[in-house]
Amino acid sequence: MINGKTILSMLGIEKRYGSVTALQGVDFSLRQGEVMALLGENGAGKSTLVKLLAGLERPDSGTVAIDGQPVRFRSPHQSLHAGIAYASQELSTIGALSVAENICLGGDSKSPIWTTRKLRDRVKPYLEAVGLRDIDSRTPVDQLSVAQRQLVEIARLLSRNARILILDEPTAALSDVEIEKVKDVVKALAREGRSIIYVTHRLGEVFELADRVTILRNGQSFEPIDVEHLDIDVLIERLLGRRLEQMFPTRGASPNEVVLEIENLLAPGLTTPTSLKLRKGEILGLAGHLGSGANAIIRAVAGVAPQYSGTIHLSGDAFSPRSVHDAMNRGIAYCSDDRKRDGIFAVRRIAENLSAPAIDRVTVGGLISARRETELAGRLAAFFDIDGGRLDSQAGKLSGGNQQKVALGKWLGIEPSVLLVEEPTRGVDIGARAEIYRHLRTLADHGLAIMFASFDNQEILGLSDTVATFFRGRLVRVAPSDRVKPEALLRDVTHPEAPSVGDVA
Amino acid sequence: MISKTIVASLPHGRISEVMRRRTIILGAAAMLLVLVGGATTPGFLTLDNLLIVIRAASITGIVALGMSYITISGNLFALSAEELAVLSACVFAWLMRSHYDLATGLVLTLLFAGCAGGIQGAIVARGADPIITTLAFGALFRGLASLVSNNKNILLETDAAQWLGTGRPLGIPTQSWAFAILTIAAWFVLQRTRFGRRLLLTGANRHAAAATGLQVGQASLVALTLLGLCCGIAGISAASQFGLAVANLFTGLNIDVIAAVLVGGISLRGGLGTPVQAALGAILIALLENYMLLHSFTSGQRMLVVGCLVAAATLGFHVIQRRHA
Repeated sequence: MINGKTILSMLGIEKRYGSVTALQGVDFSLRQGEVMALLGENGAGKSTLVKLLAGLERPDSGTVAIDGQPVRFRSPHQSLHAGIAYASQELSTIGALSVAENICLGGDSKSPIWTTRKLRDRVKPYLEAVGLRDIDSRTPVDQLSVAQRQLVEIARLLSRNARILILDEPTAALSDVEIEKVKDVVKALAREGRSIIYVTHRLGEVFELADRVTILRNGQSFEPIDVEHLDIDVLIERLLGRRLEQMFPTRGASPNEVVLEIENLLAPGLTTPTSLKLRKGEILGLAGHLGSGANAIIRAVAGVAPQYSGTIHLSGDAFSPRSVHDAMNRGIAYCSDDRKRDGIFAVRRIAENLSAPAIDRVTVGGLISARRETELAGRLAAFFDIDGGRLDSQAGKLSGGNQQKVALGKWLGIEPSVLLVEEPTRGVDIGARAEIYRHLRTLADHGLAIMFASFDNQEILGLSDTVATFFRGRLVRVAPSDRVKPEALLRDVTHPEAPSVGDVA
Repeated sequence: MISKTIVASLPHGRISEVMRRRTIILGAAAMLLVLVGGATTPGFLTLDNLLIVIRAASITGIVALGMSYITISGNLFALSAEELAVLSACVFAWLMRSHYDLATGLVLTLLFAGCAGGIQGAIVARGADPIITTLAFGALFRGLASLVSNNKNILLETDAAQWLGTGRPLGIPTQSWAFAILTIAAWFVLQRTRFGRRLLLTGANRHAAAATGLQVGQASLVALTLLGLCCGIAGISAASQFGLAVANLFTGLNIDVIAAVLVGGISLRGGLGTPVQAALGAILIALLENYMLLHSFTSGQRMLVVGCLVAAATLGFHVIQRRHA
C-alpha cells in the first residue's frame, strides 16, 4: 500500500501571528498512498500547518517541497494546481446548488457552457469514488445529510485531481454510521495511491485509518510514528506534554447546596438523557470536542437551544427557559464561545458594554444615569482588572484577553446566581488566561455557580472543581477534578471505548 | 503643540473623540461652502437666499434625523422617505380641503405617517431586509399619492395652515425651529435614554444585543415609526408652504437624505453616530444644492455632484475605518 516515496516534505516551518508563535520549526512529510494522521491539542498548530499547505497562509520561514521541488504557495489556487486539495473544518458546500454544481464549483472548466447532462457525466466518477453513486447529482445539497455533504466535499477535492487531500476533522459533526462511510472512502482513496492528511481529535480513528501519525504540541512537531508500532501511552504523553500548573488558582472550599439540577435532559446535540448537578461556589467543567454534547447542556440551560425533554431545577424551582431573556431574568448569565459575534459591542464604549445586561439598573425614569453607569462600569472593571481610564474607549480596540474580560464581566452587573461560559479563554493569550482563571475562581468563592465548556483539557483540569466528560452526544463520566488524571480525561473525550490504562484514581 | 501631544496621548478609539472630529470637519466644510459661495455667487449671501437655504435644509434635515436612527439601528436606509413625505402632504391637503380643523388635520396626518412607518418597522423587525421592504413600500406610497391626488394639485383651499409653512417667528422659518428642536430631541433620546442606548447597542451588534436580553426588533420598529413621523412633518410643512400637495413634491429627497447621513459620517455598519451629524450633513447638502441652483446647474448636473459627494464620503470613511481597525 505504501510505496515509500515521499511526495511532500516540509522542513523547519515557522509561522507567527503578531506576538504569538503558531509553528516553530515544524517538520512534516507525506508518502504516496498513505493516510497521515495529524494530532495535537487545541492551539497546537494543526490548523495553521494545513492552512499553509492549502495556500491560505504563508510561512515566515522554512521550505516546502513537492516531489523534491521547492514550492511556494501564494494562493489556494496555486496549491490546488500543485495537486493539494483542502476540505476545511466547516462544511463549505452551498446548499442551494446541486450536488454536481457543488463538485464543479471553482474548478477548471474547458467548456464555457454546462448543461445538466454534461455536469452529471463529469461528476459521475467522483460520486462513485466517494460511494454516492445512488445519489442524483441534480439534488440540491441542502437535502443531503451532513455525512453526504461531507462526502460531496471530498468528491469536490477529487475532481481537482488532487494527489494530496487534506481533511480537517471530517467526522466532527457526524453520527457513528456516517463516520464509517467517510472512513471507508478515505481508505479507498489511499488504496488508489492518493495521500491523505487526516486532522482529527479522535484517537480511535487514528488506529483504524492512519498509516502514520504526526503529533504537534505547542507549535512543535515530533517524528512521525508508524501506527503499527504505536503505543497509546506514548501517544497521550506526547499530546499532553508538561503542564502549566501555576496557571491555575488554588481551589476553593468544598461547595455547598445545589443551585442547578439537570435531570434526564435531552436537547439538540445530546444523544442520551443527561443529568448533572451544579452547586453554589462550584466550577463545573464540561470537557469534550466539537459535537460531543458539552456545549449542548450549556445552550439548553441558557435558553439558546430548545429543551426536548427532562427537567431543570434552579434553586429548587422548575425552570425551562424559552429565551436568553427568560434565563437572564432568572439569574442565569451566558457567555458564548463566539465573542466577536455576540459577546461584545465592538464599536461601543467599554462602559456601555459593561452596563448593557444591567441597563435597567442604571436607568432612572427611562433616562440613563451617567453617575450610576460610571459607578457600575467602574466596579466591574476594577474587579476584572480592566483599565478604568479606558472605559470610554471602544471595546473592539482592546486585546483579545481584555475583550474577554469585558464579555464576562458585563454579566456581573445582573448579579447572576449561575454563570455559563463556553470556551472561557478562546483567543486569549497566556497571561490574560491566568487572570481570567483567577477571576472566575474568585467569583466562585463568592458563591457564584459556574459551568463552563472547553476543548482545552488543561483548562478543564486546572480550573474545575468537578469534571464532566462528553463524547459524541453523551455524558461519559462525572468526577471531582483532583481525581481525574489527564490521561483518563484525554481518553474520555477522544476514545472512551479504549481499554482503560490510566483510569480514575 | 501642547494640544497635539494631548490628543496623541489619548487612548485610541474614544468614540466621543472620533465623532467630535467628524462633526468639526463637517462644520468647517459648511463654513467653507458659505464663504466660497458668498465670494463667487451674487445673491448667495442675501437674507432672502439664506432663508431659502435654511428652509430647504430644515426639511431635508428633519427627514435625515429620522433616517439617522434607521442607520444607527443597523438597518442601513429606508428608501420610502420621499414617498411617505409626498403621501403625507397629500393626506394633509385632503384633510384641510375637507374642512377638518388644523389640529385634527395635523394629528391625523402624523398618526397616518407614524402608522405607515410602523408597519414597515414591524415587517423589518420580523427579520425582513430593510432596503427591500422600504423600496416596496415606497412604490406603494407613491402609487397611493398618485391615486389620491389623481396626479393633480390638491389645493388646501384654506390658509389656516399657511403659517406653518411660511411663518418666521423671531425671523427664523417655522421649519427651522422644528428642525433645531427635533435635532436636540433626537440627540437627547439617543444619548441619554434607555431606549436610545438599546437602539445604539442593537445597531452595534444585533447578535450581542439579543444575547444580552435586549428586544432586537424594537429598535427597527421604533426607528421606522419615528422616520414616518419625520416624513409626516416634512409633508405637512411643504403642503402648508405651497398651499397644495402634488405627487411630484420632494423629488430627490431620498438621495439628499441618504447623502446627509453619509456625509455626516454615520457608520453604515450601525451603532455609531449621532443625529447631529445627519443634521449638519443636511445643511451641507442644502447649501451645495442652493449654490448649484444659483449657478444654474441642471437637475442632472446637481444629482451628479451629490452622487460624487456621497461616493467620496463613503470611500473616505471606509478608508479611515480600515486604517483604525
